[in-house]
Amino acid sequence: MNKPLVVCEAAGRTFGHGRVAVVAVHDATGTVDDDSRIALVGPSGSGKSTLLHLMAGLDTPTSGSISWPAWESGPFRDPSRAGVVFQGLSLIPSLTAAENVAFPLLLQGLSHEQAVARAIESLDLLGIAALAEKVPEELSGGQAQRVAVARVVTSRPQLIFVDEPTGQLDRASGGRVVDVLLEAADHLHAGLVLSTHDATVAGRLDVVWRMHDGELVGAA
Amino acid sequence: MTWIWLAGLVRKSPGRLLAAAAGIAIAVALMAGLGSFLVTSQATMTQRAAAQVAVDWQVQVSAHRDPATVLKAVLGSPGTVSAVPVGFADSPGLRATAGGTTQDTGAAKVLGVPTGYAKTFPLAIRLLTGSANGAVVAQQTAANLHVTPGDTVRVLRAGLSPYSVRIAGVVELPQSDSLFQRVGAPPQSQPVAPPDNVIMLPAAEFRTEYAALAKTRPDLVTTQIHASVDQGALPSDPSSAFTSVTGAANNLAVRTSGAGVVGNNLGASLDAAREDASYARILFLFLGAPGALLAVALTAAITQAVAARRRKEQALLRARGSTPTQLMRLVLVEVAVVGVLGGLIGVGVAAGVGAASSWPWDLAAGLTGLLIAGLVVAIPAARDLRVVAAGESARTVQRTRPVWLRFGLDVILIGLGLAVFWASGRNKYALVLAPEGVPTISVSYWAFLAPALAWLGGGLLCWRIADTLLWRGRRIVALAGRPVLGSLSTSVSSMLMRQRRLVSRSAVLVALALAFAVSTATFNSTYRAQAEVDAQLTNGADVTVTESPGANASPAEGAQLGQVSGVTAVEPLQHRFAYVGNDLQDLYGINPGTISRATTLQDAYFQGATAAESLAQLTSRPDAVLVSAETVNDFQLSPGDLIKLRLQDAQTHTYRTVPFHYVGIVNEFPTAPKDSFLVANADYVAQHTGSSAVGTFLVSTGGSNVSGVADRIRSLVGTTGSVGTIDDARGLVGSSLTSVDLSKLTRLELAFALLIAAAAGGLVIGLGLAERRQAIAVATALGATKRQVRRFGSAEPAFVLLVGTACGLVTGWGLSYLLVKVLTGVFDPPPAGLTAPWGYLAALVACTVAAVGLASVVVIERARRSARTLLRAI
Repeated sequence: MNKPLVVCEAAGRTFGHGRVAVVAVHDATGTVDDDSRIALVGPSGSGKSTLLHLMAGLDTPTSGSISWPAWESGPFRDPSRAGVVFQGLSLIPSLTAAENVAFPLLLQGLSHEQAVARAIESLDLLGIAALAEKVPEELSGGQAQRVAVARVVTSRPQLIFVDEPTGQLDRASGGRVVDVLLEAADHLHAGLVLSTHDATVAGRLDVVWRMHDGELVGAA
Repeated sequence: MTWIWLAGLVRKSPGRLLAAAAGIAIAVALMAGLGSFLVTSQATMTQRAAAQVAVDWQVQVSAHRDPATVLKAVLGSPGTVSAVPVGFADSPGLRATAGGTTQDTGAAKVLGVPTGYAKTFPLAIRLLTGSANGAVVAQQTAANLHVTPGDTVRVLRAGLSPYSVRIAGVVELPQSDSLFQRVGAPPQSQPVAPPDNVIMLPAAEFRTEYAALAKTRPDLVTTQIHASVDQGALPSDPSSAFTSVTGAANNLAVRTSGAGVVGNNLGASLDAAREDASYARILFLFLGAPGALLAVALTAAITQAVAARRRKEQALLRARGSTPTQLMRLVLVEVAVVGVLGGLIGVGVAAGVGAASSWPWDLAAGLTGLLIAGLVVAIPAARDLRVVAAGESARTVQRTRPVWLRFGLDVILIGLGLAVFWASGRNKYALVLAPEGVPTISVSYWAFLAPALAWLGGGLLCWRIADTLLWRGRRIVALAGRPVLGSLSTSVSSMLMRQRRLVSRSAVLVALALAFAVSTATFNSTYRAQAEVDAQLTNGADVTVTESPGANASPAEGAQLGQVSGVTAVEPLQHRFAYVGNDLQDLYGINPGTISRATTLQDAYFQGATAAESLAQLTSRPDAVLVSAETVNDFQLSPGDLIKLRLQDAQTHTYRTVPFHYVGIVNEFPTAPKDSFLVANADYVAQHTGSSAVGTFLVSTGGSNVSGVADRIRSLVGTTGSVGTIDDARGLVGSSLTSVDLSKLTRLELAFALLIAAAAGGLVIGLGLAERRQAIAVATALGATKRQVRRFGSAEPAFVLLVGTACGLVTGWGLSYLLVKVLTGVFDPPPAGLTAPWGYLAALVACTVAAVGLASVVVIERARRSARTLLRAI
């Protein structure tokens, strides 16, 4: 039985006011279930990242609403509910891969030893345990993205949001990152929402939501 | 292209330009301000040295030469303002009968002074009592003869009958040493002390009494031309003024064709001021140079902080076809803008803070600003250009330790500094050698290597401490941070460990800035305290009441003074003259058990014992006496030796031998002269001279309302004694640097030190901005609470602040010690210890903490609030 985790009802997000206001997302309606595999596609500036952040609870809609029926509040601040893989290099430069992955667990209050042990497990799960002691600048773009995925996985979330995971990678590296994401979601039995402008990547997911000038098309 | 790029830079990155210009402005302002101070202080020294001379030139008319011709030559000399003839005659003795007894003195000097002499040379004669119109006697002579105005004195003449004069007044001759100098004789041939007995007659009377003698005994009657020169025309620098005056004096000697020998008192005074001017230059160098260097380091750090952005710009321009030459041209334009802007702001700030403008210094400081801009902007930018051209990128995480750490450069520098300090200590820190009369001055600048090396070594040692703590001691750091950071503490310590090069550099900047501020403030504070001690040493106490000659004041009269409102303690101080062999010295009779209540006695006043120990030695036996080091050497004395002094008996007025036992050495004492003197027990002196008469009452007001108390005492004592205050003494003390008003330098330096320390602290945040911004944004995006983000972001500033402050305070205190020791020459007397400016130090630490705290809060909050934007932009 599918369980709805995120429900968007005519959600909108406008930045600024008056004549300089920019409507990033307008009337977005859709539901993300616990087994969803959704590709959010659209050209640059179409509002994909903004909608993703709204659904992850990182941002608040200025119109409409977003709710998380399975939880009392939004998933933000609870990495066991939802995790976000950010666009670009979102690792802390002066921490090793293992420490980066352990970081959300430390924020939750786990001891350093426990957190690092779980981080190693996650890295191992994604086949990148060998990178544990490397700092971000010693990693390639693809390796850094996989470490970022491991950081989300280590909190065992019910829902994973991924913002343009392949935008700065070559096709082969991007492909490996998507492999890892799909494997991780399957392993955790988690929902997956991935924003991309790459049709090949989008084609590997079950459902495609299209964004155009802030409008969401194809969501149900 | 250049103008488009420059316009873009001004529009898009004004902060980058302003930050670098601000760093340069600090260096320029410091240089311009201190340079102007130097020029002003040197001019002040020249003015003061010249103003304190009573008679600029004493031209001795040679035997058998016409005084009128010499007078004409002196008046015709360029720069001479006024010149008058003064007669000098030697007398075998003086005699006076007063109060039924007759007193005779030994040899005396008789002067014939023209009318208006006291007005022309106001510093030469000070009327104490009576009138200046007529014959006057010197204070000590009046005491010896027991005469007061209205009494008659018989003056003996060699080979002629004595003559009588009626005394109109009693005067003080403040500069009797130079007045009675042997004109033209070298210093070692000068009289040891001025004559004890002096009587001054109106010129006409002098001529009447000595015209005949002058013909028969020209060796006994001579004439001097006393002249004053135009001091306003002197060059402002003491060395130049000395050279100018010496040249003019030599010129005069030539013009008189040997008829006159010039005693150049003005030249001698300027000669002494040259040494002070050298110390002023040294102070400028040593108290100003570190500040300027720090400002340069700060500017370099600011430039470093924006290096990544510059590299990006350069890479973009290269990708779009710009040549390295074009890129370098853009860099040079930025250098010019930053240098000129910083220079103008710096000179403006220097003028704004009240430093008198000195265009050569302003120009030099401005050019230095351009040079700094070239060094800290152009060179790193050129280096970046090569990196960009090679397609490399700079590492953000530096894992290697600096090479110098492995070689122990910090320890070597500190060791070298201590070695230089030890070596200069063997020379008694004699930094300035200004041989009397010799135009050249030798300044031993190398002695300043000690504090310079120690400062740099201390800074690098701070780096080692920070580096070691973050590398080998990161578990300790993690443990220490656990109460605040919780389970994040290990990760944070690892993060700091990997950034330790940046973190250590920030700690060093803070430490060096604080060390500079602490040492400057402590030096200034010690200097001020010693100037105060000098003033109290000169005056004797907060207020002193000096009894008139013959007043015969009883110690019991102190009780009346004690009842004056505002007086906290009164102490009688006997003043006698005692012969040590043939040497007449001042003798002070004190109550060793109570004197400290009314005046401050520093350990430095005594040699081989503390002040308390020396007073205890006096108490230990009634006939104990403290003598000067010179007397100990002259008479080869050992502690416990019997000394027979000759003291005047109050009843018979004859000198009688009184036995004393030498117990210790005294170098300085309140109201005592700079040369040899003696300190003994007042009761013993009174017992053996038959008089307990007090010379001076030392009055303490507890340091408050000195002038008010002095006014009340004046109205109480009337004309029986003169009242002096420590406030008067402050303006008169010494010929050394203490006489120069250093308050401007102090204010300027302390303000800049505070500014630099705060800027260095604030820069700690700026330097790691990009690094910390990303980490804070990531932590925020990963769900960290506001409190977690703040604590996580504050870890590095807190570490830098703790290590930098601790190292800075310790290094600063050590430097203060070295500076005070090395600059012993500017202190008179030398300080017993350092005087800590607690208020300033507290403000310094508070400002640094506030700057770091403010910068941290701003950066953390901005990064936290714009986490999503930042993550998308990275």
